[in-house]
Amino acid sequence: MLPELLQGIDAGGFLIIQDSTSYSGRHLLKSFINSALDREEAVHVLGFEVSEEELKDGLKGSPIQRLHFHNAYSDPLGWTDHPAFTVSQFCLDELTRLVKQTSHPKPATLVIDSLSWILRHLSPPDVCKTLHQLRKGGAVRAIIGLLHADMHQRGTVGSVCHLATSVITVVPVVKGDKAVAKITKRSKSGKVMQDEEIFSIKEDFTVIVQGKPSQLGPKLADPKEQETDPTANLTFNLRLSDTEREAKEKLALPFVFSKEKKTALLHSGPGSGRILYEPDANDDYDQEDPDDDLDV
Amino acid sequence: MYTELNSILNTNPDSFTQGEFVLLSDRKSDASFLIHHFLSLYLRARCKVWFLGLVQSFNHYSAISQRLGVSLAQAKEKGQLVFLEGLNESLSVLIPQETDTRSQAMGFLRDPAVGLKSLYEFVRSSVTSSGGGEAGADGAEEWGPPVLLVDDLSVLLSLGVSVGAVLDFSHYCRATVCSQLQGNVVMLVRCDGEEEEEDDGDDEGSERLLKGLTHQCSLTLHVQGLPTGFCRDIHGQVEVCWRRRQGDGQYTQKKLFQYKVHDKGVSFFAPGTSSAVL
Repeated sequence: MLPELLQGIDAGGFLIIQDSTSYSGRHLLKSFINSALDREEAVHVLGFEVSEEELKDGLKGSPIQRLHFHNAYSDPLGWTDHPAFTVSQFCLDELTRLVKQTSHPKPATLVIDSLSWILRHLSPPDVCKTLHQLRKGGAVRAIIGLLHADMHQRGTVGSVCHLATSVITVVPVVKGDKAVAKITKRSKSGKVMQDEEIFSIKEDFTVIVQGKPSQLGPKLADPKEQETDPTANLTFNLRLSDTEREAKEKLALPFVFSKEKKTALLHSGPGSGRILYEPDANDDYDQEDPDDDLDV
Repeated sequence: MYTELNSILNTNPDSFTQGEFVLLSDRKSDASFLIHHFLSLYLRARCKVWFLGLVQSFNHYSAISQRLGVSLAQAKEKGQLVFLEGLNESLSVLIPQETDTRSQAMGFLRDPAVGLKSLYEFVRSSVTSSGGGEAGADGAEEWGPPVLLVDDLSVLLSLGVSVGAVLDFSHYCRATVCSQLQGNVVMLVRCDGEEEEEDDGDDEGSERLLKGLTHQCSLTLHVQGLPTGFCRDIHGQVEVCWRRRQGDGQYTQKKLFQYKVHDKGVSFFAPGTSSAVL
């Protein structure tokens, strides 16, 4: 499902890439930017977390003309006199104005790097409202956002992801630079599709899907070490010969209730006491043994 | 500086990556030996160093750097080292005197809710006014790229500053020093508790601060005690994590080392290869 998402997001779509400190989702975000640029779409990046050079690093070629970086990195809080874009400008009017500044025949894709930065400074309801308005507004065709799931409370993450049409959660795989993408996609008809794929990103930001995590399971077991025999290489003998094994199995353990012991107990031997019972008039003496059906 | 750590990080005074944000962190351990490494490394590399020493006095760092072969007093005199002694400055904030004309860098002590803008202003004006690497007008020596060292950020949390304010401060430092001036930033964060899974509700400030800074940085060195307990010959382990793409296309790369602190240095070795064991 990952390649399909990379091919294009439906109009009015909102994709969220959730990452954590163990694996950064920015590389996947750059792959999405790259494929959008290849499709001759205009991409507007609202950059809070990384500088323009760092974001454009690796994205080469003429399509980069269509990438418009809005610098919210150098002064997002207005601490200097001339801030380029502050976090308080994250509202429908300002964003529409930003996107409409550059005219382009095809509607633009808005990439937000990152939503976590905005959520740290604006209240989640305001952020959700702006995102919702953006989706319906028509100024942008699709929105892609990066969210650091471990920086917020679960409720906040849940609320923002609820607005999204697709959510990709990336977690690393122990070996190599591969990662697992857990994808949830909601189509317009209301159908929800979920998938898990292992992928890796090459230097030119193409994504290679390498199968499902369940496929990797048995492969991981093979390179595991062969179980070593603990009875080998010892100065004393821990192994059993065949006769010894037979004798071991024949041995009656002292506290196991075997058949021989049961018959010995139930049928008392000669010389042991006998109990003579004469029932009284009031006794309810039933000749049947009430414990007869027990399988002792 | 510790030569083994230099080879692990692929740095030396003559060549090091510029524009890096290095995060030093520890959990129930003490990573301050790494601060001394970076301090002596960048001083030897002839960079201009701004040191925000919030937890210890100048003499403390001076004495340890002496053992590593670097004289902080000399560097300060020559203008290579700019040292903000947090402990001293805080006195002038809390007990203001008319004759005091010191900067308001520690102004947040009066009102932590205001945030660290004044501290950032101190850093920014100091770093940009000196030209960050250009030769001074009066024939002062030419220094290399600017480097900002902070020891440490967790004490700001204890002083009442919110996690968001500290993250904003580190963001602005990174934007100014790393991206604008192509310098380096090294910050130390200390955590107390166990690393837990997320619960709902705001978890302990230092954990959230550590996560936020990890997202911002390009290189982390995380110091912890040995998981098996105390050992006389191995003082702990360091996990080095490169978060930016390296030359060979590998993304996040992690390496684990064990270390032992000596009188005049720290030795690093792969797990299990301590000289006491081999």
